[in-house]
Amino acid sequence: MKKISFIWVFLLSMSAFVSCEKEEIDKEKPQIDIDFEGAFPQNCATVYFGVPFEVKTLFRDNVELGSYRIDIHHNFDHHSHSTEVSECTPDPVKEAVNPYVFIQDYPLPGGQEEFLTDLSITLPASNDKGPFEDGDYHFMITLTDKQGWSTQKGLSIKIRHQEPK
Amino acid sequence: MTILCMGMFYSLLSGQTAYTLSGRVVDENERPLPGATIAVLPGSKVTQSNTEGYFQLNDLYENSYTLTVSFMGYDSYTDTLYIENDRTCTIRLRQTSVSLQEVVVTHDYADEKKKEGALPVDIVTKRFLWQNMGGSLMQSLQILPGVSSLDIGAGQSKPIIRGLGFNRVIVVENGMKHEAQQWGSDHGLEVDQYAVENVEVIKGPLSLLYGSEAIGGVIDMKSRTYYPENTFGGSVDLSGKTSNQFLGTSVSLYGRRKSFFADLRATVLDYGDYTVPTDSVNIYSYRAPLYKHHLRNTAGKEQNIHFSFGVIRPEFESRFYLSNIHTKNGFFANAHGLEPLNVDTEMHDASNRDSHYPYQDVNHFKINNITRYRWTAENYVETQLGFQRNIRDEWSQYISHGYMPSQFPDTLGFTSDLERAFDKSVYSGRMTLALKKDKKTFNAGINAEYQDNKIDGRGFIIPAFKQIAVGGYLFGKLTIGAKSVLQAGIRYDFGRIMTEEYFDWFPSPLTNEPASEYRHLQRAHHIDRRFSSISWSAGYNLNLERWSFKSNIGKSFRMPIAKELAANGVNYHQFSYEVGNPDLSPEMAYQWDVGADYVYNRLSAGISPFVNYFTNYIYLNPTSEHDRLYGNGNQVFYYMQSRVLRYGAEMHVEYQILPQIRIGWTGEYVYSEQLSGVKKGFTLPFSPPPSMRLHAGYLTKKLAGGIENAYVSLDHIITAPQNNIVPPEDPTPGHQVLNIGAGGDLKWGKQPIQVSLQIQNLLNTKYFNHTSYYKLIHVPEPGRNIVIHISIPFSGKIKST
Repeated sequence: MKKISFIWVFLLSMSAFVSCEKEEIDKEKPQIDIDFEGAFPQNCATVYFGVPFEVKTLFRDNVELGSYRIDIHHNFDHHSHSTEVSECTPDPVKEAVNPYVFIQDYPLPGGQEEFLTDLSITLPASNDKGPFEDGDYHFMITLTDKQGWSTQKGLSIKIRHQEPK
Repeated sequence: MTILCMGMFYSLLSGQTAYTLSGRVVDENERPLPGATIAVLPGSKVTQSNTEGYFQLNDLYENSYTLTVSFMGYDSYTDTLYIENDRTCTIRLRQTSVSLQEVVVTHDYADEKKKEGALPVDIVTKRFLWQNMGGSLMQSLQILPGVSSLDIGAGQSKPIIRGLGFNRVIVVENGMKHEAQQWGSDHGLEVDQYAVENVEVIKGPLSLLYGSEAIGGVIDMKSRTYYPENTFGGSVDLSGKTSNQFLGTSVSLYGRRKSFFADLRATVLDYGDYTVPTDSVNIYSYRAPLYKHHLRNTAGKEQNIHFSFGVIRPEFESRFYLSNIHTKNGFFANAHGLEPLNVDTEMHDASNRDSHYPYQDVNHFKINNITRYRWTAENYVETQLGFQRNIRDEWSQYISHGYMPSQFPDTLGFTSDLERAFDKSVYSGRMTLALKKDKKTFNAGINAEYQDNKIDGRGFIIPAFKQIAVGGYLFGKLTIGAKSVLQAGIRYDFGRIMTEEYFDWFPSPLTNEPASEYRHLQRAHHIDRRFSSISWSAGYNLNLERWSFKSNIGKSFRMPIAKELAANGVNYHQFSYEVGNPDLSPEMAYQWDVGADYVYNRLSAGISPFVNYFTNYIYLNPTSEHDRLYGNGNQVFYYMQSRVLRYGAEMHVEYQILPQIRIGWTGEYVYSEQLSGVKKGFTLPFSPPPSMRLHAGYLTKKLAGGIENAYVSLDHIITAPQNNIVPPEDPTPGHQVLNIGAGGDLKWGKQPIQVSLQIQNLLNTKYFNHTSYYKLIHVPEPGRNIVIHISIPFSGKIKST
């Protein structure tokens, strides 16, 4: 009998651990919002090589924002992104020969729950292999919060060379 | 089979007197059978015959007892004895006409182990493995409560015991600690499922024998160990699975002439891409369509060879084990590398049986000797000396990342497509002394290990390193009365780890300025650290007629591994950039285990709860940072330490409704919480969700048509949702899976054929496994899978000249 009671003591001590007051932990991912007037780029937007454009998106987190990164890569093969369903009218599928790639990360100021980006990007028109190919690209935004949760947003855009005037 | 008992009469005056049953177990030619199991009921007393075949069972009271004597390869013997005085018997066993190649870790043995050890233990036989065969050994074992497997794909998995895995679980094969690339998330266990005869899973901390880092537990596997004198035998095993069109063949042949034995086994496996019940998967926001539900490029091949030989004499045994395991298997093409879009679907989908880039090629070679000299049955010295080498090459097409040149230079000594390579050589040895006198057992041992780890390839994650570990232990066990066992052990470990520095093979700019200077960046510095600690455990068992109780408390210690100290690179399977911490302190863990079991008549039930506390658990903490220099701006993870509390339990209830029908329930639960650090309040990564298994089985010794051991089984596995997560995990919804199985030993003429058939995931349910790496990229578990296994054993006598 003694032995059985020692099992109970064990189980009780375990339940004591369980009933300890749980500390509030951050279980929420940050959010990327492009659903407002003036947000850019939007799905199906067009940007031009060599012409600066402003990235305007709104970041939100329940506790504190971390950092974000922007990744632009080609979609000549029409691979899909799951975060944006609506596809724009794509150019014909083509083989990538000299596609443009852009990857850059940006820290966010500490202590912010909300942040509106104010970022200007200029895409170079060519590299040592010649001019970059134009056509369908994906514009990916990845946002983290201080705790390490991360959210992605993928947008379909077109990058064109400027028409000769 | 005969029994000859003589009563020795002497007058007894006291009321309740203890008697002794002693005797000898011999074969038909009066030769002793050492190691036979002798069990009496009630009271579940079990012993084994010594080298001369003698045995003794004490503390029997005047009663009617059922005596069972069993020995592998021999028909077991059962009789009812009325004990009213000390008795001596000679039990003669007859050799089984055609011995089945299954090693029966007999129920008695398993039972004895459970009652003697202070930690929860599960012992499974080859038959269990065939009846529950999964894609890998660990997947076959995860049906055991408290055991799960950390999977990447259908055939690559590593063990998790009560939520702990990687270097916190020790895997032992034939007495030697298996050393490979345990740290790697995508690195499976290099074990041939066909060569394993039995597996012991010890759930709980501290392996005195192999090292204190077994905080989670130990998986101890053995090949065939028993060879009857002047016999030969073997088996042909064939298996097939529909989910990945798996075909497997394993052939073994052994023989023993007097005291010399040899055993050879060859295994060949070939499998295709596995199928999942979905059309597409979401890989971090990229949607990858699947062709015909095939998980692109997960096909593979495996070729294994084993050779063991040695001498078995009553007082002296020396066994050599040689093995080589070779696997080549593809990684899911869409989820590997930094650019998930860069997949040639046309090439990959042309055939589902080929592996293109990315794939891994793994070779594990082992040579191991175990020598034991015994002067009496339970007093012996054992030595183990071994060498093993693990070579792992990971191949993928060269793509320049970060500042890697777009054209790969040919001056580097490795080919451009070799992404990463690891070459580990391990020399290990140990010596154990075991002494037993009356009710006292004493063990002492020392062990040493030297590791040399080299790296190669264009990618970097961990540096090359060398490691030395030495340790020694003392262990004592005292049987008090007939019912309780007290045991305690203490171990000292010393370890030294020396990592080498590493510089990139390509130059990167030091600043973001266009005119910045380019340098070969240093990714790892030389580290030389020494660790030592004392670990200990103490346990108590009480075995009553219907109840048995156990309790164990222990402290264990694990020194940080090279990856935790010095990682600095991309994990291609998680799109994470992992950074080590050279200042980590060794993990200290304290654990208290208890267990209660009840066995009476048709009912058996048990519970084994535990509490575990880490003063400084080492884990990989995701941060808000993105890496800039090495490619695609992956999220950066740092190794950190925190106090961690874990607790949980495994439970089971079984009831024998009819002699042939048994129903059962098992459940498992683990809770983990970080008590300090930046992830205070969070759980640990890959925490297994609570789950339970309802089981109904029909088993009959003999069925019409000469089918023996015929069985039908139904398993209903219910897994709760896992919402207790850490970044970057997503919650995993709960799920239910139905598995059915049937089989038996058929006879073709005189030749027995063991057949087992399973349908896993009978309803083709789409579900996710929280402890699968592919779950992070939303790949569901395999769909309906029909598994068939056929084993054809044979044996015969070698004529003695």
